[in-house]
Amino acid sequence: MNRRFFIKSGSIALASVGMSLSAPSFLERIARGNTPPAGKRKTLIAIFQRGAVDGLNVVVPFGESNYYELRPSIAIPKSEVISLDGFFGLHPSMSAFKPLWDSKRLAIIHASGSPDNTRSHFDAQDYMESATPGVKSTSDGWLNRYLRSKQDAEQSLFRAVSMTKTMPRVLQGRAPAVAMSNLSDFAIRAGKSSENLQGGFEAIYARETKDSLAGTGRETFEAVNYLKKANPAQYQPENGAQYPRTPFGTSLLQIAQLIKAGVGLEVAFTDIGGWDTHVNQGNSRGQLANLLQQFSSGIAALYQDLGQRMDDVIVLTMSEFGRTVRENGNRGTDHGHANAMFVLGNGVKGGKVYGQWPGLKSDQLYEGRDLALTTDFRDVFGEIATRHLGSTDIKSVFPGYGSSPSKFKGFLG
Amino acid sequence: MRKIVALMLLAVLTQPIVFAQKQRSLTQEQRIIHVLNRLGFGARPGDVERVKAMGVEKYIEQQLHPEQITDLAAETKLRELSTLNMTTAELYEKYPQPGQLLRQLQARGMVPEEMSDQAKNNQNTPPANPLDNEKNRKVIEEYYRENGLQRPQRIIAELQASRILRAVYSERQLQEVMVDFWTNHFNIFANKGADRWLLPAYDRDTIRPNALGKFSTLLQATAQSPAMLFYLDNFQSVSPNANQGRRGGLLQQLRPQQQQQQQQRQRRGINENYARELMELHTLGVDGGYTQKDVQEVARCFTGWTIFQPRGGGAAVNAMMGEAGRRNAGTFFFQARVHDDGEKMVLGHKIPAGGGIKGGLTVLDILAHHPSTAKFIATKLVRHFVSDTPPQSLVDRVAATFMKSDGDIRETLKAIFFSKEFNSTEAYRVKIKRPFELVVSAIRTLGAETNGGPGTHRWIERMGEPLYGFQTPNGYSDAAESWVNTGGLLERMNFGLALANNRVQGTTVNLAKTSGEQAKVMDEYLKTLLAGDISATTREALLKQLEPSDPATKVVGLILGTPEFQRQ
Repeated sequence: MNRRFFIKSGSIALASVGMSLSAPSFLERIARGNTPPAGKRKTLIAIFQRGAVDGLNVVVPFGESNYYELRPSIAIPKSEVISLDGFFGLHPSMSAFKPLWDSKRLAIIHASGSPDNTRSHFDAQDYMESATPGVKSTSDGWLNRYLRSKQDAEQSLFRAVSMTKTMPRVLQGRAPAVAMSNLSDFAIRAGKSSENLQGGFEAIYARETKDSLAGTGRETFEAVNYLKKANPAQYQPENGAQYPRTPFGTSLLQIAQLIKAGVGLEVAFTDIGGWDTHVNQGNSRGQLANLLQQFSSGIAALYQDLGQRMDDVIVLTMSEFGRTVRENGNRGTDHGHANAMFVLGNGVKGGKVYGQWPGLKSDQLYEGRDLALTTDFRDVFGEIATRHLGSTDIKSVFPGYGSSPSKFKGFLG
Repeated sequence: MRKIVALMLLAVLTQPIVFAQKQRSLTQEQRIIHVLNRLGFGARPGDVERVKAMGVEKYIEQQLHPEQITDLAAETKLRELSTLNMTTAELYEKYPQPGQLLRQLQARGMVPEEMSDQAKNNQNTPPANPLDNEKNRKVIEEYYRENGLQRPQRIIAELQASRILRAVYSERQLQEVMVDFWTNHFNIFANKGADRWLLPAYDRDTIRPNALGKFSTLLQATAQSPAMLFYLDNFQSVSPNANQGRRGGLLQQLRPQQQQQQQQRQRRGINENYARELMELHTLGVDGGYTQKDVQEVARCFTGWTIFQPRGGGAAVNAMMGEAGRRNAGTFFFQARVHDDGEKMVLGHKIPAGGGIKGGLTVLDILAHHPSTAKFIATKLVRHFVSDTPPQSLVDRVAATFMKSDGDIRETLKAIFFSKEFNSTEAYRVKIKRPFELVVSAIRTLGAETNGGPGTHRWIERMGEPLYGFQTPNGYSDAAESWVNTGGLLERMNFGLALANNRVQGTTVNLAKTSGEQAKVMDEYLKTLLAGDISATTREALLKQLEPSDPATKVVGLILGTPEFQRQ
């Protein structure tokens, strides 16, 4: 019988590693309030753009004539692109990212992604989250393997949190993690009797000794009580940050809240869908533009809200694959290959587009149609795991890959 | 200091449950409860007495022969779920994917040009949403209404409902437990492409009829099931040496053009996915003694095992092919033209050249009768029915029975149910219920009524284990220790409260009116819900929570959330 036990996932979940006796320390930390624990904790916020965002209209290679030739109706006109370096530019609805670029806190890795050639959303998301492209039987996600690879001295109940309804593949595995769609759902929900009933369950689980249900039960209520005290509904973002009033915006806001509360959050995850733009994708305006506005303003708000704390936080964005270079007959794009990733944080050597640009001439395209891949996403993940989170066992995080600092792009120095 | 204590605790908790040499056996009453919990989804009111009257051994025998048990109550409950009895072809016709429907309308010249374009270009992604456009949405909605069509989401909702309804109401409890077990063992994810349409047939024709039969028959049924062929990509697996240029055969000529284009775009060649999972997860187990070379050779054997019109085909094609085309969409067929018919070596057995479909069948036979398979299946069954830490002695005996009986599932189960390990106090109420088991057992034990609908399934999902919702082929784990990803203790408590207070949509509880002092009322419910199997400390803690004015719903809600009710 293993000590490690269950709870976690579902709309709410919490897993734990034999922490029952160390639990008071958790409450003690909470009692200390917002002061971060000694030895600053590094945090990664990973954001998955599900549905395959059209990276070529996000970080636009406006210096490529082929870009305009292949996308007669959906290309972003040169005059409207937010130029970054004279060759690449941001989609005009992402102006919130420009100050971060200018202050060199935003790095882009273009032509990156999975080397597997699948164009199935299902398979590609699976591969990106397990970080074992081509191998379907990997049972855990790479962020979970990272958590396992490094001992957590604080044994935080909130070391890994996914602001999603169910536990995403990337955090599935043996290390504890919590998934919840909203902080305020993390409670006994029985209307007026909630408090009374919670007290009842707490008392019952406090006396339980038989198996790991005991420790798990106690930890659950510690976490519930903590969140109650934090009173998520009353949270006020700092520095004038304004999050989009969308589920994505709320997720980011609540992640910021957990970071500020100093509960030991190390890995946070959330996702945002709607990127599968086969039809009427739009150009400077339209479907994709609206979504990018929400996406970039949400991340910029998080950045603003966290302020100086961004010294210890990195935001990473990813999407399962890119989209066809050529627009289709519906003013949209179909499933492609390589894509663009963003990395943001005060510790990032930003203001640069990393990765080798493969070009968009027909003989430069992957399988004659897609942006070719020059950076394996595991090199991006690996650099963050090593240089930001401090993993010393990168090989176990990316099995069968041969991760090596020599392959890192250097956006973290 | 804290650390030391924690380490000590860890040492205690990591001790495996020890099955003592001389095990204490269960009382008759306990054995009945145990059998109802493990061979089924818990006792309904009156079940214990019924089994007692008939004799527990006779009950087990009866459960092993579900075909001899009449099951009118469950069948009545299922009557409303019309998709359960439809063929895959009918499902494609009546529950079309909107994008595909657009294509079909286009083929009949019933769609304006603009939309036709859209349909044409959408083929790379069947689940893409062509309804983002307001105008399209209206036309499609109209068409659904006029033609009595339904959205495909409905298919899985009904399938999930059928599983809940059967688990709650069926007298064939062991059959339902084994359907759950094999569905998990041969896991398929509903949201992978066409699997949504293929799963009803998988449950009805592949798993259900074979759940208590011969393992080899079950294995072959899954190997030839369109749902598995699609899920593990084998339907696309073709010999790289096959003559791709000659697109002969009636079938190819009649395939709609877009489907041909799509096929061309897909990776041509051998796909090893099924071959690997077949050995790793379905039969031998990961350490079962196969090599990468075996995977490659097995994959060669299964080239050409594919699906006729995997995504339902087009209406135009169906019309051209007449009734046969219409009937057979989404069914298994062996496409000899793309099969690698050379000689292969699998686990030391020579598979002769020129065997066609026989090669794959031989592989399945070798695997089904392999000692590693016996060991692997025995371990999983013992873990499911007895303990998360399967006693080796029992696993060995069960594996031997599996071998001896030519993989007879019924005989194998018997070896478990009549073993001393199964019938020992060490096995009694030590398994943590999985979310499906928890929800169903709570409904049963309260004698509640349910329609099995999404309102009930949602709770199973919240606890982390939606039916047909596990992405990867290994399925939900049966050992609670690896449930870091499942469960949701808080959601379990919330579910109990919701159920007791009639807040689970589609499920109704009628708590018997009670009166008298709290302790007596509580003990009555503890008897109903847990046969009184509750620790003194939990009982005391429970009692402390109750005020004289508290309604029965609170008592029941709390009991459903106790650690004791989480176990079976």
